[in-house]
Amino acid sequence: MTTATVNSKGVGTPTTRIYGALAIVALGWVLLGGLFFTPEDVVQGDAVRIMYVHVPTAWVAYLAFIVTGIASACWLIGKKHSLGFDRVAGASAEVGVVFMAMTLLSGSLWGRITWGTYWVWDPRLTTTAFLFVTYVGYLAVRGLGGSPEQRARRSSVIALLAVLEIPLVHFSVVLWRSLHQQASVLSPDGDIKMDGLMLFTLLFGVFGFSVLFAWLVSHRQRIMAMQDALQTNALDAAVSERLREAQV
Amino acid sequence: MDLTPRTSPDNAPLAPRKRNRKWKYVAMLIVVASAGGIIVTQFLTSAIDFYCNVDEIGVRDGCEANRRLRVQGVVAKDSLKSASGRTSFVMEFNNHSVDVMYEGDPGGIFQECIPVVAHGRLVGDVFEANRIEVKHSNQYEAENPDRIAESKATPCTQLAG
Repeated sequence: MTTATVNSKGVGTPTTRIYGALAIVALGWVLLGGLFFTPEDVVQGDAVRIMYVHVPTAWVAYLAFIVTGIASACWLIGKKHSLGFDRVAGASAEVGVVFMAMTLLSGSLWGRITWGTYWVWDPRLTTTAFLFVTYVGYLAVRGLGGSPEQRARRSSVIALLAVLEIPLVHFSVVLWRSLHQQASVLSPDGDIKMDGLMLFTLLFGVFGFSVLFAWLVSHRQRIMAMQDALQTNALDAAVSERLREAQV
Repeated sequence: MDLTPRTSPDNAPLAPRKRNRKWKYVAMLIVVASAGGIIVTQFLTSAIDFYCNVDEIGVRDGCEANRRLRVQGVVAKDSLKSASGRTSFVMEFNNHSVDVMYEGDPGGIFQECIPVVAHGRLVGDVFEANRIEVKHSNQYEAENPDRIAESKATPCTQLAG
């Protein structure tokens, strides 16, 4: 496989194009609905609009890290140790880290407007920052080199440990007294205390960011497959060259 | 068969970029480990100030009146006063209240009937805060002129969540 082949064909498929189109439509609604059609909150005013990015990106980051954990478990448990699982794990973690960064950034801005401060060492904020740092570490470990199999083995173990942080992050507002508010949609009492249009836009945001996640991961894991193939081909070519030299 | 890495004519390795890339990730891991340490340290340091509700001051273990505390409560209706750059208000929780004095403007969406967390010490009967953070509930409601008029006529019910 050559770089030229990769460039001319790209990594898109009919499915990824559907994902892309759905993501554009859904996030277009979130943008318009979030900025113009949804009402102001009675307490927070316009600041509530940050919620339409903050909450979906947090949920999708959780989803991404769970996908990383599941794919890693599949790689470890599977008899064939298919590297496809490892690539999905890596791609999902990369996208999750980006979404988690968006969550932290948007949350910080929201905090400045509502709480009066960009950051507090509150249980929810601290555990979220720790989760983010853990997955940046996971990506660093993936980049340490070695064969794709070595990379898959060490990173899958880390992924299975790191995913255990997610319940701690989610329930931190229940376990400890926290400045961060409790969940509105996934609240322990199951009662959703949110205006209908706000809730609709929020859930549409979750859908839009989820489809965007699927679209990004589909492309990224294909690019990773191509990178692995290039690496393997380069090694094969080097070995073949040495064999030829030995025959001369 | 010789499979040692190839070198260029001047004996320099042919793929220094790959080695550099590895060091980049090692450096990233060091930064990540340091960041993790800082996060945990900051969290534990901030936890030194106990997080107490107004009704727990002087009652609950760790909420002794003579130590620095984080106190949580709701800003009582018609109690908020601002003068000479100082903000004073009454903070309530579970039918207990404490007077709070803060140098400056708390910022955020600070207002009456909203839950707040005040960091400071109890001096006499007044809680002298040097930091105030505003909590908001997990309720999101559209602004409605009728509802606002109604809530103004009743004690803190809507905002405190």
